[in-house]
Amino acid sequence: MALADARARFPSLATAAAEPEAELRLLETIADWCDRYTPLVGLDAPDGLFLDISGCAHLFGGEDSLIRDLRQRLMRQGFHVCVGAAPTPGGAWALARYGDRSTASHENLRDLLLPLPLAALRLAPETVASLAESGLRAIGDIADLPRAPLAARFGTTLIRNLDRALNREDEAIVPRLPPPSYVVERRFADPVAREEDVLGTIAHLAVELARALERHGEGAQRLQLALFRADGQVQRIDIGTGEPLRDPERLRALFDERLAALTDEYDPGFGFDVIRLNALAVARLDAVQTGLGGSDEAAELAHLIDRLSARFGASRVQRLVPNETHIPEYAMQAIPVQSLPFPLSRAAKGKDHDSLIPPRPIRLFAHPEPVSDAIAEVPDGPPVRFRWRQSLHEIVRAEGPERIAMEWWRDRQGTALLRDYFRVESRAGARLWLYRQGLYCDRGEPRWYVHGMFA
Amino acid sequence: MAAGPSPEALERLRQTIRTGQGFGEQVSISLGVPSLDQRLGGGLARGALHEIAAAGPVHIAAASGFALALAVRARERPKATLLILPDLVGYEGGCFYGPGLDLFGLPAARLVILRAPRMRDAMLAMEEALKCRALSCVIAEIGADEADLTATRRLSLAARDNGGFGILVRHRRSAVASAAATRWTVAAASGPLDRFGGIGKTAFRVALAKNRRGSCGEYLLIWNHHDGTFVRAADPVGLAAPASDRSDRAALAVAY
Repeated sequence: MALADARARFPSLATAAAEPEAELRLLETIADWCDRYTPLVGLDAPDGLFLDISGCAHLFGGEDSLIRDLRQRLMRQGFHVCVGAAPTPGGAWALARYGDRSTASHENLRDLLLPLPLAALRLAPETVASLAESGLRAIGDIADLPRAPLAARFGTTLIRNLDRALNREDEAIVPRLPPPSYVVERRFADPVAREEDVLGTIAHLAVELARALERHGEGAQRLQLALFRADGQVQRIDIGTGEPLRDPERLRALFDERLAALTDEYDPGFGFDVIRLNALAVARLDAVQTGLGGSDEAAELAHLIDRLSARFGASRVQRLVPNETHIPEYAMQAIPVQSLPFPLSRAAKGKDHDSLIPPRPIRLFAHPEPVSDAIAEVPDGPPVRFRWRQSLHEIVRAEGPERIAMEWWRDRQGTALLRDYFRVESRAGARLWLYRQGLYCDRGEPRWYVHGMFA
Repeated sequence: MAAGPSPEALERLRQTIRTGQGFGEQVSISLGVPSLDQRLGGGLARGALHEIAAAGPVHIAAASGFALALAVRARERPKATLLILPDLVGYEGGCFYGPGLDLFGLPAARLVILRAPRMRDAMLAMEEALKCRALSCVIAEIGADEADLTATRRLSLAARDNGGFGILVRHRRSAVASAAATRWTVAAASGPLDRFGGIGKTAFRVALAKNRRGSCGEYLLIWNHHDGTFVRAADPVGLAAPASDRSDRAALAVAY
């Protein structure tokens, strides 16, 4: 029926445009929220979720009370929910959508599924329709039919889905988020909102996590704090460490830093009812004998770097590693310290040319700054004076040129990125690394740039 | 005739006063220039904050270079050096360049660079870093007036309590009061030349504007990046001692 027809019949009809993306986002939010029951939550777009509750149900007093709790909480948030539980994902799907929403066990799974319509097998509507033409309407009608003719006529999907629903074939739920290696959590009857309470909880959880990690001789490298807000929002805060870590004091300090940096985004709303600490990635960490003389300096540095990374982001705490290239910009690369902890292999010291000052500047501009009014005494010599940053610089001494061209295996003609570098000293004392772009005989005026500053 | 106080007693009293001022057992970092070291009471105090300002916009690299030279002097294996550079400062004054630092005397292998998003983040990070005993030197570069008396006081206390060595580099001169132990103003200078007409050695014209342990003064310092030493330009240097077996020969003086 067209919208106009529907409106003609019911003038008061409320309509809204379909927003599949927004609906998917909502589904993901609900999936996030469902994390409180199990770390294995799979999306079944557009309107379903799979929760693998094996091994988790007893934490909530059994499957039935888990389902009751889930249904109540989601209803309170304004959702209409259908829940089915079964030993197989396919069975649960069928029970939730076509059954009486009961809980199936291994024994009664078959009995509960057989009376359900064939659409409960997650089949395409055309397949269901053509099955109906043959008089096959319920799962029971096909459950014991010869398999080969069925597959030949209606496709292997039918047989596979049937086997999966009836637990003849295994089906795995694909989790949305990677399941963590370790999980510790606190649940609150009344939501907590004060930051001190949250930090205090984190401290408790860190101790618990450290104990679990210690039992297995492991340390955490990637941690995630999940804050489940009472209204269904879930905030996840990720933290990485350079070296495996399990000292609860240090774990707590990292989250302190991170939360302090998050002041704007951190919004407890009506409070959190579950706070969970996940260790997403772990690595072997053996107990180390500490010296009597207090703490170890290497560990202290690693901890400082972890804290700075937690606060400012890992990409902002950098170290420089040499690259095999002579292009000045790429000679050293800044990488996060956490990705390559100390100590580093010895850096190759650059060649010291026959110059009294170091031949490379201590500061380099990310974008070479163009200078104007450059006047050179001889065509391929250094400029005598030029204007840079609104002031005139008069050159009293210069060294160069040092020609730096693109690597020949990248540039056959040898014309791209051809630069003649000069070290110059101005009358005011400033020492600059200056270069001319291209050869002098190239068409147009030569262009000069300041690339760096010497001490 | 009243006997004057013995030199030992005087020295003991001086030590007592120094201890009272918080400079007690602290280690000093020698600059290698005897007259300057003496004025600083043995060198720059570790466990304190020092401040360096550029004399003008063209002297930013010189101020930064002087701070880096001090970091080279303060190096202690296997400790690391932390350089804190707020984004805005990095945009104006360029970023630290690894190959250049390597040649300057500060190997990149023991260097950590923090790109702080804002100026106040740089202060916060510096305070944290000064508490860490695994760093031989912490350098933070700021614009001009971002660190006031309160901020520098906090940094000084953090450094004093944990023996950190902090250097605050201001890219412009600032009239803001500061709790730093020493304040310097640095300008680039023309270093001594060689016969080949190139650029002279790296040199700094430094003015010691505040010194808790002594008087102030001006120096022209030359940085030798090969062995990480300062030389005072006015001193006759490279003076070979008279050979003991040929005492009749005069010492051979080489300028610089």
